Amino acid sequence: MKKLLTGNSAVSLGVMLCRAEVISAYPITPQTTIVEELSEICSDGRLNAKFIRVESEHSALACVAAASAAGARVFTATSSHGLAYMHEMLHWCSGTRLPVVMVNANRAIGSPWNIWCDHSDSLSQRDTGWIQFYCQSAQEALDTVIQAYRIAEEVLLPVMILEDGFFLSHTSDSVDVPEQKEVDTFLPPFNPRYKLSPDDPHTYNIMADPTLFIHFKHDAQLSMERTKRVVLQADREFKSHFGRSYGYLGKVRLADADVVLLTMGTAASTALEVIDAFRKQGKKVGLCRLRMFRPFPSEELRKILGEAKKVAVLDRDNSLGAGGIVAQELKAALYGAARKPKIFEFIAGLGGRDITPEDIKEILDYTLQNSGPDGVPFWMGVKK
Amino acid sequence: MKSRKPIKKKPSGSRKKPAASLKKLSLPPMSLSFEGTLATKTGTWRYLTPVYANKLAPCNESCPAGEDVEAAMVLSGQEDYSGAWEKITQENPLPRVCGRVCFHPCEGGCNRKEFDEPTAINALERFVGDHAFQSGKRYTPPKEKKKEKVAIIGSGPAGLSCAYHLASMGYGVTLLEALPKLGGMLQYGIPSYRLPKEVLAQEIDNILSLGIKVQTNVRVGKDLKWEGLKEYDAVFLAAGAWKSLPLKIPGEDSAGVMSGVAFLRKVNSGEAVDLGQRVAVIGGGNTAMDAVRAALRLGAKPLIIYRRTKEEMPAWEEEISEAEEEQIEFIFLSSPVKILTEGGKVKGIECIKNLLGPPGKDGRREPQPIENSNFTLPVDSVISAIGETTDLSFLPRDLQGLKDSVPVDETGATVMKKVFAGGDIVAQPRTVSYAIGAGKKAAMAIDATFRGKNVAEALRLARWGEKGSFSVARYKSSGSDGISPQVVPFSDLNTDYFKPQKRKAEEKLPVAQRTGGFSEITQGLPPASALYEARRCFNCGVCNLCDNCFLYCPDLAISSRPDRQGYQINYDYCKGCCICVEECPRGAISLEGKK
Repeated sequence: MKKLLTGNSAVSLGVMLCRAEVISAYPITPQTTIVEELSEICSDGRLNAKFIRVESEHSALACVAAASAAGARVFTATSSHGLAYMHEMLHWCSGTRLPVVMVNANRAIGSPWNIWCDHSDSLSQRDTGWIQFYCQSAQEALDTVIQAYRIAEEVLLPVMILEDGFFLSHTSDSVDVPEQKEVDTFLPPFNPRYKLSPDDPHTYNIMADPTLFIHFKHDAQLSMERTKRVVLQADREFKSHFGRSYGYLGKVRLADADVVLLTMGTAASTALEVIDAFRKQGKKVGLCRLRMFRPFPSEELRKILGEAKKVAVLDRDNSLGAGGIVAQELKAALYGAARKPKIFEFIAGLGGRDITPEDIKEILDYTLQNSGPDGVPFWMGVKK
Repeated sequence: MKSRKPIKKKPSGSRKKPAASLKKLSLPPMSLSFEGTLATKTGTWRYLTPVYANKLAPCNESCPAGEDVEAAMVLSGQEDYSGAWEKITQENPLPRVCGRVCFHPCEGGCNRKEFDEPTAINALERFVGDHAFQSGKRYTPPKEKKKEKVAIIGSGPAGLSCAYHLASMGYGVTLLEALPKLGGMLQYGIPSYRLPKEVLAQEIDNILSLGIKVQTNVRVGKDLKWEGLKEYDAVFLAAGAWKSLPLKIPGEDSAGVMSGVAFLRKVNSGEAVDLGQRVAVIGGGNTAMDAVRAALRLGAKPLIIYRRTKEEMPAWEEEISEAEEEQIEFIFLSSPVKILTEGGKVKGIECIKNLLGPPGKDGRREPQPIENSNFTLPVDSVISAIGETTDLSFLPRDLQGLKDSVPVDETGATVMKKVFAGGDIVAQPRTVSYAIGAGKKAAMAIDATFRGKNVAEALRLARWGEKGSFSVARYKSSGSDGISPQVVPFSDLNTDYFKPQKRKAEEKLPVAQRTGGFSEITQGLPPASALYEARRCFNCGVCNLCDNCFLYCPDLAISSRPDRQGYQINYDYCKGCCICVEECPRGAISLEGKK
């Protein structure tokens, strides 16, 4: 059924359709309306879940981690400082191999105080062992929640779904809400092989001595690798049930593109019309939207970007002292590749500043007009 | 990932093998003990031991009638009002009376008063009593009769309580009452706007249905000589305190002057009393309040003359505030010095004004007359209600004490063999619930005597705490009901689990509808409020199956008992962290120092 939904509302309905059994979260802008709606869904009986109110994000994730270890399908959501506060538990979730699904509404991290969108909160957590999907639309956010449980429960790794704060979390769009029956077929009940049980009690997270520790980490790495296959497989099956698929990347007019704009999240929507305008002028530009950031789809990126002459990477984040994180990751992925485009790096939209069609145009023009990058990321709209 | 079962098998020698062989072991993806945790007997670490131990709730200790208030609250909270009634009437046969007229010291002891307001125990007792009566609950006579016979002198709350308990135990009981109707002060002292006559009659009828013999209009010492009691195996003396203290002022013998007790007795007997228009009631106690309010209802314009201030009035607060609501006039700091008469009939009263001096023996400040401050009030009648005393003249000399009470030991026994006494006739607080408690204590003492028990020891085992409250249930089980004598103080509760809730009061008849007649003022709790109040109860010291200990135990060492009436601790795994003790909202788990 088609509904007009905000990104946050689409997420809440997605969680309901997945029949989450334990939900715990602490409110933070711009995530709050997700759990507000879920609390209503739980209280009016549309979802038979235990909704646990807590005093912090650290506790929220600890609650759902414990429930997941006991075999429940769980959900939490947060944003920015809340995600930072979860940092320790993020590692424990992935280390315990718990298929927790979380939505993070992307928001800048202070200081200075700021409640608006950028990707620095979730990219700060890239090494915690979570699978990360960056969404472009409310429809994609809902669909990704459904896919995320399927993937997480298959590979036993937690999934973080990212939606741009306000740009996606609070704007409304037409969303096709799947039928419960169809979701149930795609996503059977969680039936873990290992779980906490009073009938046969075992200790979780016992100390692993130096002989064993590395084996657990290696196993998780293998599962991350395997995740790439599982994501595509789940995506294919999802398409057969619901008619939509997403893959690792969103690709627009890449086949013959000389210049490719690479970015994540809602900025890709803005870029679409600029790309069309450039094409009308005969300029061969294309768009690649990175949906799956972890595991990083290096092979795929090498293959599709290898055809281009130049890639303009638009980062809505910055690693102080290094540059845009997506650009860093891309450069590492292309190292040693047979065909390597030139990489132009742009930092834009931090702390919720709009990334306008004019910004995109400027980025593409600069990339088209210059023969090579000058080695320093270009900060859009900053006084020089 | 199909099997739900956690791993069971411990791969042989897993801990010792070198890394090379790990592949063969098919490690789980997360670090998970091979061995079940049941192998680790964490109980061996314990040096403090939590133990389930129900304790005494302060309401139980504070109830002079010895009711198991706490148990009645638990049952009421489960909407089992019949069960609650059975719990109450095991100890006190007059819940509908006490639910109306008791001064409810239970609420004074209630731990909830430290948190917000005490639970409305008294109103709930009335609700439970009325509910049970309306649903046809009645006392059942015992199957086995015993041969011993007991005479009870006086059918007030002490006598009725003693008769009920003895008859329930199977003894033959005869109630000897000097007046035409049973009930003593309940019948002739308390006006019906506080205790409707039909409620009292129903309660008494229910007690009598146990097979109690009744002789009314029999005054011992006159209609029946003391020697005539010899045919009984024991006697319980509960004749009360009916003699009014004299004012000791000129004119006291004039027509139009009467005692509060005599006035109330007439009113309660339905006799006509001619008070005239203006009535002066002397005194500040409950009798004075009852008298002045009864006079108001008879159409007079009464006033209270009291020698001290409102602060020192011995009447209960509610009686005073209701009298104020009814616009009764109070003249404080004044003592009558002379009753003015004309033709042998009252026409006025002369008073002197007082100042309050230093506190006297009872701690209240003593009134001191101010010279030349005399004033007179024109009145048509005077009711003196400055206190009551006993009339012991009908008793054998041995039973007459030096003062105005029959001397008894701690078991209620007098110096005469198998003669016990209780209620207002002995030195104890003169209230309905104390009288009911004394009657019950006597019943237990008489039973213990008949059965050849050590009476003092048998009663000691029946005590609820240290305030002189006794329980028949404890007496029958010789104190082995599993409730420790320790009273739970407020500080032992974990109030994090309770939220402030406003107390629901009983509705009262609007003042305009009260004073035209003797309709009952207090209307009782509606069912929803009764349930609300029952559930406001903290259930101090008694497990009510809240599951907190079970949920908090980090070792899963706590489980529900097979009978579902409590929990058990598996001490093989209880490592003595005592989180259960801390998280028990009601102090029902104790800590023991040793394994």
